[in-house]
Amino acid sequence: MAEELLKKEETDEAEGLLEEDDSQKGMFMTFQIGKEFFGISISYVNEIIAMQPIAAIPEVDDYIKGLINLRGKIIPVIDVRVRFKMDPCEYTDRTCIIVIDVKSTMIGLIVERLADVDTIAEDSIAPPPSLGRKEHEHNKYVFGLARTGDRVTLLLDPEKLIKQDDIVAAMEEGRKEEQS
Amino acid sequence: MAEEFNTESMLDLFLYESGQLLEKLEGIILEKQDADCFDDADINEIFRVMHTIKGSSGVLMYENITKVTHKLEDVFYYLRESHPDNVPHMELVEKVLAVSDFVTGELDKLKNGDTPDGDEKQLVEDLDVFLGRLKGEIKNQGIQMPQANKHVEPTQFYITPVAGDDSHFYRISIHYRSDTQMSNLRAYSATYALKEVAEDLLYTPDDILSNEASADVIVAEGFHMLLQTKSSKEEVIALIDSSEAEEINFDELTKEEYGKALSEFGREEAAMEAAPPAAAKDNGNKEAKKEGPKPGDYVVKTKEAGKGKTLAKNQPKQQSIISVNVEKMDALMDLIGELVIAEAVVLQNPDLKVPGLELSNFQKASGQLSKITTELQDVIMSMRMMPLTNTFQKMRRIVFDVSRKLGKDIELEVIGENTEVDKNIIEHITDPLMHLVRNSVDHGIEEDPADRTSVGKPSKGKITLEAKNEGGKVYISVKDDGKGLNRDKLYQKALDKGLIENKPISEFTDKEIFRFITLPGFSTKEEVTEYSGRGVGMDVVVKNIQSISGRLDISSVEFEGSEMTLVIPLTLAIINGIVVQVGNSPFVIETASIKEFVRVGEDSLISEPSGEEYIVLRGECYPFIRLNERYDLPDSVDKIEEGIIVVLEHEGSQVCVLIDKLLQEQEIVVKPIPPYVRKVKGLSGCTQLGDGSIALILDIAGLLMHDGERR
Repeated sequence: MAEELLKKEETDEAEGLLEEDDSQKGMFMTFQIGKEFFGISISYVNEIIAMQPIAAIPEVDDYIKGLINLRGKIIPVIDVRVRFKMDPCEYTDRTCIIVIDVKSTMIGLIVERLADVDTIAEDSIAPPPSLGRKEHEHNKYVFGLARTGDRVTLLLDPEKLIKQDDIVAAMEEGRKEEQS
Repeated sequence: MAEEFNTESMLDLFLYESGQLLEKLEGIILEKQDADCFDDADINEIFRVMHTIKGSSGVLMYENITKVTHKLEDVFYYLRESHPDNVPHMELVEKVLAVSDFVTGELDKLKNGDTPDGDEKQLVEDLDVFLGRLKGEIKNQGIQMPQANKHVEPTQFYITPVAGDDSHFYRISIHYRSDTQMSNLRAYSATYALKEVAEDLLYTPDDILSNEASADVIVAEGFHMLLQTKSSKEEVIALIDSSEAEEINFDELTKEEYGKALSEFGREEAAMEAAPPAAAKDNGNKEAKKEGPKPGDYVVKTKEAGKGKTLAKNQPKQQSIISVNVEKMDALMDLIGELVIAEAVVLQNPDLKVPGLELSNFQKASGQLSKITTELQDVIMSMRMMPLTNTFQKMRRIVFDVSRKLGKDIELEVIGENTEVDKNIIEHITDPLMHLVRNSVDHGIEEDPADRTSVGKPSKGKITLEAKNEGGKVYISVKDDGKGLNRDKLYQKALDKGLIENKPISEFTDKEIFRFITLPGFSTKEEVTEYSGRGVGMDVVVKNIQSISGRLDISSVEFEGSEMTLVIPLTLAIINGIVVQVGNSPFVIETASIKEFVRVGEDSLISEPSGEEYIVLRGECYPFIRLNERYDLPDSVDKIEEGIIVVLEHEGSQVCVLIDKLLQEQEIVVKPIPPYVRKVKGLSGCTQLGDGSIALILDIAGLLMHDGERR
């Protein structure tokens, strides 16, 4: 019965998202990493918190920085900079954590600094150029480029950002645990 | 009508209640399985259970459940009223269990969101035959059959509402066209319309809403109403929706004729008893005047009396227990964990550490607060504890089923079923325990009683199921006095299947050999039976038990029997732990697995050329793990004199771990590491410390395993 309830909650949530989508459509939370601006659809964003002490976990991929305690919920955080294979940088008081919820998995993204919440019209989103050496690499997380004002924002697909395999594995793991 | 209610919550309630009732039912049955007959209290209880399930399933329109329970109710009604002698008790037990299984199966379907579509016909027929035989036997013996349940004067309980002088009496029969859909609903709308003008109204079939089958009856036999009203014939006709009706017979009656018709009506209905059961009295109440005679009401009447008695008896019990969704309990538990942490944050706030601050009142208040939070924690923990009674009940059933199927004579002894265990743990041990019990019945107890008597054992096999609580752990053992495990056979089998290295049998201890049966793909029984023998069992059992950090102990003496013991922790959620620090990271070690803390000098350390290190303590040599190196932790103690050695023990093997320093001992609320992070060997979870920071919990078994793999 618990499962049913969960399922119900999920669908409720999904419905909630759909409703919200209307007002949130085309709104992107943008942030800066290095010189680039990135955007993430606001419907994924749960909240933004200041940098927190992170408990490191041994033996995991280097971009997984560890665990934080978000009001009793323990959630993993990943460093987006390291995820993009850039050199890690010092965390300052401008560094913050965007907590996103992807398919009911809560994950924190460490970003260098927040920029803005932009409304980006759908027709101003161009697919990432398919030429170029790093084409494959790009397509992994960037699903579009948007021009706002005088800068270009790379729009990220959070599901791919946190790596599809990870989520799949996580879900399988979760399912196994449920069964056992 | 049911659609107007919140069917979801009704369904939940129905599932919960019926589940509870069925468990109770099985309890009674299995307790009395060896007796000669049920006593009155049992019969009443079974009757009541069936009646309740019948009623609530009727409301929710699960017709097959209603029919089956109704039939069994009839059987027990008969037993209760006429006290027949020589009832075939075993057969009755089987019948009850069959019904209980059927309903359980249907409930499971409902739980999974399927429609309960099990075919009840066979079962109902069986019960009919059985009941017929019961009655038949008695007739043959010339004993007067009680008439109470078949012959009732309707007037006995029907009081005609006082009819005024200007009242008219009508008999209305509506025949619908044979292809009419949902004629029961049409009939209902007719009664509904008439109710407004009716002084009295009764109709047959009466269960038009609760029973979809009544639609067929209405199409076949027509829908009959008796109406007493002040309205004229024309007004009444105008009220009835005649759209699908083929024919409406409308007879005006005199008062006397009406009275006669009433009793006829009742009789006629009594004769129609074979028609769908009087499912929901509730509906009846809403549909028509309460006094309206309904088919089967004679039964309902007597039942009500019986029900009233038993209800009164059970009332206090039902009031003192409410069912709560486990998720809510978990949420409460989490919140209390939060509260404890928040409390620590307040009480140890650095702002309070200003020198010269007068804090005596604050200290008093905070002492009070701490006391309450501790109590709160105890209460929520105790709320999660449940006795093993239900689990053991299931085992009784399994022993009963399997032993009968295999034709073995087995007695089950249950000890300590009131032992309380955390609910989560109960969920995890039910399946493994079931497996162990099945194994004992199937493999443990000898097939041929002669094999038993020849070694001086009673011919009746015995299985003992025992639970006890000792030192923060729960021991649940399944013991049989069967043939026991054969060392040579197990060894040979494991060797044949290539599960072990080719070592002579003498190099294995008994324990190691018994452990073979928990290897994946091991099955000592040549043939796969319905109950066990696929060899997938024992390794799954062990896995399940390990997932709740428990273990399985096996001991056995050949020809005397075997004993399987599950050793499981009392609770999963909170452990006693010691917080230690390595580098900048805090870790938690479960107190139970710590043997000692020592500080040793460089001279106790032995290094192999390969890099392996050992610690010698009091002449004994232990493997040594530097946690900082294992987990790549910077800024930690490297010199063995400066750190502390923790000696850890898990299932007989020991390991020394180097840490920087000890922080504190405290109760730890275990939380899982988010599944997004891949499982790290040697870590079993994480927790929040008093200051809100996160500590990882060391898993000794994983640490040892990891160590083994590295070598």
